[in-house]
Amino acid sequence: MANHEPEAATPRRKALIWLSGFGLFGSAALAAVSNLIFFKPRVTYSPSALFSIGKPDDYPPGTRIAREVERVCIVREANKMAAISTTCTHLGCIVALADTGFSCPCHGSRYDQDGNVTGGPAPKALAWYQVNLAPNGEVMVDKNSEVEQGTYFTL
Amino acid sequence: MRLALAIASFVVLIVHGLVFYDQFSNRWARHQTAYFEQARSLSHNARERTEMETKSPKIDQIMVTSFGETRVDRCTTCHAAADDPRFTGAGDPLRTHPYSEAMGDVFRNGRWERRHKFTDFGCTVCHDGQGRGLDTYYSHGEDEFWPEPLAGYVTQANWRKEFVPHLRGKAFMEANCAQCHTDENFAGTPNVNRGRKLFYATNCYGCHKIDGLSEGTLGPDLTEAGKKYKIDYLWESIVDPRANLATSFMPKFHLSDEDVTALVIFLKSRRGVNFAETTLDRYKAHVANIAVVIPPGTAGEKAGEQLISDRACTACHKLRDKDGGVSPDLSYEGLIRDDAWLMDHFKNTRSRIPDSVMPTFRFPEDDFRAITTYLVSLKTAPAKAAPADTFKTLCARCHGEKGDGNGPIAWYLDPSPRNFTNAPFMNSKPRERLLDSIHNGVAGTSMPPWGKALDDDQIKRLLAYVSDTFTKEPFKPLKPRKVPDTNPVTMSQPSIAAGEAMFLERCTGCHGRKADGKGPNSLDINPHPRNLRNSWFVARLSDRRIFESVLYGVQGTAMPPWIDYGMSQQDVGNLINFIRSLNPKTPGSAEKGQTYAGR
Repeated sequence: MANHEPEAATPRRKALIWLSGFGLFGSAALAAVSNLIFFKPRVTYSPSALFSIGKPDDYPPGTRIAREVERVCIVREANKMAAISTTCTHLGCIVALADTGFSCPCHGSRYDQDGNVTGGPAPKALAWYQVNLAPNGEVMVDKNSEVEQGTYFTL
Repeated sequence: MRLALAIASFVVLIVHGLVFYDQFSNRWARHQTAYFEQARSLSHNARERTEMETKSPKIDQIMVTSFGETRVDRCTTCHAAADDPRFTGAGDPLRTHPYSEAMGDVFRNGRWERRHKFTDFGCTVCHDGQGRGLDTYYSHGEDEFWPEPLAGYVTQANWRKEFVPHLRGKAFMEANCAQCHTDENFAGTPNVNRGRKLFYATNCYGCHKIDGLSEGTLGPDLTEAGKKYKIDYLWESIVDPRANLATSFMPKFHLSDEDVTALVIFLKSRRGVNFAETTLDRYKAHVANIAVVIPPGTAGEKAGEQLISDRACTACHKLRDKDGGVSPDLSYEGLIRDDAWLMDHFKNTRSRIPDSVMPTFRFPEDDFRAITTYLVSLKTAPAKAAPADTFKTLCARCHGEKGDGNGPIAWYLDPSPRNFTNAPFMNSKPRERLLDSIHNGVAGTSMPPWGKALDDDQIKRLLAYVSDTFTKEPFKPLKPRKVPDTNPVTMSQPSIAAGEAMFLERCTGCHGRKADGKGPNSLDINPHPRNLRNSWFVARLSDRRIFESVLYGVQGTAMPPWIDYGMSQQDVGNLINFIRSLNPKTPGSAEKGQTYAGR
């Protein structure tokens, strides 16, 4: 076959080479992209970071309740609500509620009512999480989105 | 060549692109996007609007840990609006899950509050379906191999078409309610309660065991029926028991559709240990129900009558107006059987009818005695009537209304009832023998002796009626055949051995190597070959009758005249000795024939 064709690449030949290259490299690129997408699982079996904590009425004004499972402290003041993390910023123990704020049982870190460090080895303040009202009237806490300290959700 | 390569590489790219699209474009993502858009337009506050704008679709799941094994319910990935009250009137899948006061939801302060919160219960606890599925085919359980399609909503493609309409309706979810609400009269599960009552009322409990409810041993254990079977299988097994297992002898109960539905829902709720129970609860219920309580103070006949209904005898047998449609009529038992026969039959049902399908129930001796006392007391003869009516009352149950031996219970009888339309058979037997069969019954079979229920005149007229109506061909007197009345060959070990050799050579194809009438050809032969180990029957056979049947055949059956194949009287004599040696001298006793050693 090669004997019957001229030595130099004709335009048609060039175009065909480009087309084949485009097809092959295109699919290789697609394969690479899809493999990269699979690196991150679409969903894991960990409990959802967005969860409901029930109706606002369950938390009368002045309440501070620590929720063990979700590791948040729900704070209700008048018609404002907030969720403060109860995971110690030092080594991840669950901090306990104290009269002055929070205190960690592991290495004695202390936090005030808003989660600011007042003592111990903790390097930074406790996180505040986004609080929302779901359409069905339940309060939702979203541990994926941290908010600035002192940001209350107004009911 | 290069053109082909270019085309091929392009085809690869396109296919690859399609796969990519198929993998990464999800219907659930589109449903969620639609939900975000609609929620944004419905929203009245700016915060939610911005939130909905920034949200991107993701798999939403509820981890349910309180109900059996941990469930992962991803239903809200598509049904994103299930708990959003603004979507009450919308179409699926973006529709609010209905609120129901019956389910315990309350309307308070202008808002519905759910009793069964989705975050606690998930979806599949009530609805079934495959919680992890992300497209309708799998998540709704349309896949043939998923054991629990959405109860009452989804049916699978392989289900029988005529059943499908019956298997829809949210009532089927009651089976799941009953996993926690186990109270017998729980108002939310009327079908389960009704099904439980029917389980007793229709005598299901006589054969089926449900741990804690019944102790039947005859049918399959239904303790975990709800876990093992889908609703279509349960429905089919009740409505058409032989559809799944050709040899099932479960009767057709001819229940109304509502009753079958209730039973199916009840059975679907039986899943062994359910969510609300502990293994200890289940054991306690089991212990409490082991003994069926017979009310004290009822003795003799009364107790027997009570027991017949308690022990569900009429699930198979007929007794007056109760009829199970499987087994013979007991209404005239006192006239056709006696104490000894009944007690033998109870203790080992095959002692009197060797091929009976009736199971030997392990009831206490006193119960059997009470039932026997009661049955023997049933001595009221049927009112004298025209032969046609007598036939209908006494004979048609087995022999069939058309006299073709295909009565409603014929299938359960072995040997099968005689087919009266088989003229060659009917007309080759002397009248006396047929009259004797009616008068004295046929030993070892279900044909009872009617001598005490019918007088001789009635029996003669009955035979005449059968002959005229079903056999049709007129009976011609038979020429007596030249066969000996008694076996001329003396019983001896060599004779038995010769008989056995002859039997193995000539007879086993139909009568079987065990001589039990179940040879390889027997299935296709009707009437079936005789069971020659039926000692009650064999004891009643005269040598003359065996000689005639073997040498000259049995007309109208597959038994050929062996005289045509060169069998001599000596051979038949040996065969008779062999057959008699297989059976005990006195029928029913365990002792085998006198000289037949090693068998």
